[in-house]
Amino acid sequence: MDIKLTPPALVGQRVGPLAAKRRVWRLAGWGVGAATALLCIVLFVLPVIVVALSSVAEHWSGTILPTGYSLRWFERLGSDDWDAVATSLEVGFSVALLGTALGLWIALSLEGRDRRGVGAVVDALAMMPNGLPSVVLGLAVLIAYHKRPLDLSGSAAIVMLVQLALVLPFCYRCCAAALRPELQVLREAAASLGAPPARVLLRVVLPQMVPALRASVALGFALSLGELGATLTVYPPGFATVPIVVVGEVERGYYLPASALSLVLLAVSLLALCLIAARLPGRGSEPKPKP
Amino acid sequence: MKQAMSSLLGRRAVGRHTNPASRARTAEHAVSTGRQARRRHALLVKVNLAAIVVVLGPLIIYPLLRLIWLSLSGTHGLSLQAYRAFFSNPETRGVIGSTLAIMFASAGLASLLGVLIAALLFFKPFPGARILTRFLELFVAFPSFLVAFTLIFLYGSQGSIGILLQHIFHLDQPPLNFLFGSGGVILAEVIFFTPFVVRPTLASFATLDMRLLEAARSLGAGLAMVAWRVVLPLAWPGIAAGTILCFLLTLNEFGIFLVLGSAHLLTLPVAIYAAATVDLDLPTAAAGAVVMLMMSLTLYTMYRRVSRRGSRYGH
Repeated sequence: MDIKLTPPALVGQRVGPLAAKRRVWRLAGWGVGAATALLCIVLFVLPVIVVALSSVAEHWSGTILPTGYSLRWFERLGSDDWDAVATSLEVGFSVALLGTALGLWIALSLEGRDRRGVGAVVDALAMMPNGLPSVVLGLAVLIAYHKRPLDLSGSAAIVMLVQLALVLPFCYRCCAAALRPELQVLREAAASLGAPPARVLLRVVLPQMVPALRASVALGFALSLGELGATLTVYPPGFATVPIVVVGEVERGYYLPASALSLVLLAVSLLALCLIAARLPGRGSEPKPKP
Repeated sequence: MKQAMSSLLGRRAVGRHTNPASRARTAEHAVSTGRQARRRHALLVKVNLAAIVVVLGPLIIYPLLRLIWLSLSGTHGLSLQAYRAFFSNPETRGVIGSTLAIMFASAGLASLLGVLIAALLFFKPFPGARILTRFLELFVAFPSFLVAFTLIFLYGSQGSIGILLQHIFHLDQPPLNFLFGSGGVILAEVIFFTPFVVRPTLASFATLDMRLLEAARSLGAGLAMVAWRVVLPLAWPGIAAGTILCFLLTLNEFGIFLVLGSAHLLTLPVAIYAAATVDLDLPTAAAGAVVMLMMSLTLYTMYRRVSRRGSRYGH
């Protein structure tokens, strides 16, 4: 790291005209800002640019920029690749919806409970996959469900199961964060006005939670699309998601086709995220209990 | 809740019945139905929690129990044979050491860099800092194996940054040749996990009382002293939580190893994966997985403790 917050030479410089000192300080601050921006761009922005650039490159090895650009890697994406995209989307949506439903259920059930007893156990369990290595969870699910009494090792269900476990903590956190104390007041008001619990849930709580539910679906979807470790450990023969295909191509040295497929994955997931998380217009008014 | 309910009920009852006797009856009725409802509610809560455990059981608990059981079962009852097999394999001998070394190197670097970048973004914002912050938030959704993959184009032996350096310094050969091994893995992990530290650190900076910083400055404290004696102690819970999370995620990382490190560098996740899918030896893989489970859960328990304390002090 060559960034210095306080260049020692400048700190020691007490004498001299104040304006000059201030100018030096401003220059130093400017330099620090520029260095940070440059560092961040090199480290974090460049990889994203590279995916886009390499997928339209004719050839890119041994040169600074690609030599020639074309769309031929996209044209060469075969039916296997598109099947993988379809599988990824299917698994991603199912996992995101299931995870959100389960997360919402757990969040509603644990709301307002002090974190002790059964509530604490359920909370810890739902959050636990967050701390598990994906390969370990994948291996555990494979061991549990690869032979009778329940053999899932030949179907896509085992992939969904393992991804559901991995996504659950994020969905649960998302829903639990939305159950604010204000919402509790609304619920009590509705209940005190005679609304049965089911009606309170449907007409008061769920409408208030729509943004959180959308965020949860979007997050679950994005995580599922990019998941590699657990999926690679459990996936049945004849099944492939985009990450599996991409990693396979990278390992065999087909870098440019892998880039094209990755870009398709990123574009699809970005599109889906925008569709899911886009704010509906005119949803500003919050339903309030009538006096 | 009870109070709110009874007061609201009471007010409504008053509005409808002016006669005191009927008012008393209504109140009594409300209390008794309230008690009944509460009892039913308590039962419902218990049934509901039990149902959740029934759903989470096959999803998380049962597979983990089967994993532990398989790692401990030999041909005749309990045995540590699988563990011996996993760790006596000459290829996997130093695997824990190399996993921990990679974790400390990359998570340590990522934490330092993350805190530094967060501090600069927060205290010395430059034009575009806001866009960059938003970008770092989105960067977390970028799959890790893809980050590792893009580095091949940038820092590989024929990658563009190597060629650029060759042109600048007029070298005979591209100078970079470190990517497929521990160097590349550490670089990829630092790039991928730094944003995970930046986010919570920025969040904890945002809760700082800026008056304290100004007071310290006006009392003559230098920048370094303000950073060390004021900012760091106040923002510490958030920074600690982010750092531990970074260590945990680095330990659990798999895609980066698979793309960049599988040939020259053996780490625990890759060893487990290879034992399970290449050698098809599930008991040995399970033994490695249980060891890794212990390491991850230790870090995870620490994370939960620190982040809970942080949120308690934060609000």
